Amino acid sequence: MTGRIRNHKSLKAVLLALALVLGACGEDKQSAGRPRPPTENEPPVVATVPVEPVPQTPAPKAHPVTAKTKETYQWYCAQCHGVKGKGNGINAPHTAVPPRDHTKAAYLETRSDEQLFHVIKFGGLAGGRAPCMPRWGHTLDDDMIHSLVNYIRELCHCEAL
Amino acid sequence: MTTTTPFSRRFLFGALLLLPLLTGIGKAHAGPDVASLVENGCDACHRLEASIPEEGRKGPDLFFSGNKFQKQWLLNWLQSPQPVRPSGYTSDPGFLEGKPTVAVPHPAADAPEAQALTEALMQMKVEGLETAPPEVAEPLSKGLRFKIKILFERDYGCIACHQTVNLVGEPRGGVSGPTLLNAGDRLQAEWVYNWLKTPARFEPKSRMPVFDLTEEERIQLTRYVMWHKTEKEEK
Repeated sequence: MTGRIRNHKSLKAVLLALALVLGACGEDKQSAGRPRPPTENEPPVVATVPVEPVPQTPAPKAHPVTAKTKETYQWYCAQCHGVKGKGNGINAPHTAVPPRDHTKAAYLETRSDEQLFHVIKFGGLAGGRAPCMPRWGHTLDDDMIHSLVNYIRELCHCEAL
Repeated sequence: MTTTTPFSRRFLFGALLLLPLLTGIGKAHAGPDVASLVENGCDACHRLEASIPEEGRKGPDLFFSGNKFQKQWLLNWLQSPQPVRPSGYTSDPGFLEGKPTVAVPHPAADAPEAQALTEALMQMKVEGLETAPPEVAEPLSKGLRFKIKILFERDYGCIACHQTVNLVGEPRGGVSGPTLLNAGDRLQAEWVYNWLKTPARFEPKSRMPVFDLTEEERIQLTRYVMWHKTEKEEK
């Protein structure tokens, strides 16, 4: 039974990844939300541990959240998502679909980092979400968008499931 | 809430404080247009030259006001200013809270002052803008307007930040960007057309996303923006 559910979940993830045509998304397997390996030099130690591994210090993110990331969030995103990311920006009362609350893990853990990246870069509509979210791909470069995804992960204190 | 203090007097103090700066401006852009704006203290809040640092501005840049605004609108607005940006200017400390603190309301000018200021503002131009194709000035059929409305609201999400109207003509849309409800009275089509292609030409860092529009989309969105007129205020 659980195998079926897992298979179903895996299939869904693959289909989603394909449908979204993620250029930067090399992983189409069931994504466990683990940060991407930062370097190739690291020996694959963890993979061989047979029992549940003791949580280690997480590997540094490839696109860390910096002061510039937060400034960018405040300059652009906060207009709708609010200064603290709670989805209560000045435009929020006027949008047909409420802006996403970036502090809500319950929803954001159901989104992969790739999905968040895609929506920021190509807009809500392209990701099957609210069209009020414009595309930022001609305003922000990919590095900044990745960094914003990481900032959203900080705001929600969550990772993709 | 109307101010009785003469427009020029209200800004005298600020203008005096900025005297050293004024001479610099005059040199960079010698012309009676800038001088008369400076005399009225406009430079206390607005940039009158692209070369002036952006920090400290409290209102929109005016060095391209002759490209951007319609003369009649300026004349009316200066005598009876109404907020163009419902949430205030983007640099306002209260902007992201929806509680602007500065320059609301903008001081009102009397008719002769407004006339003189309008003349000066219409001289403030940047060179080298793209000529808009004649279609941007053509009237918009209802069918095409609805089609472009989808482009505006659904494809590009402009509605999240700009007020326009819904299908029954009521205001609808976000408030962080300037309202477009009277854009057809306020703006010049050619400026809108140029803004949509290269906003950085006018504003180094707008809060609006940059869009890679096709030529057809740019024309259509310009027409849609310019369609928004209000007949109530003036004539």
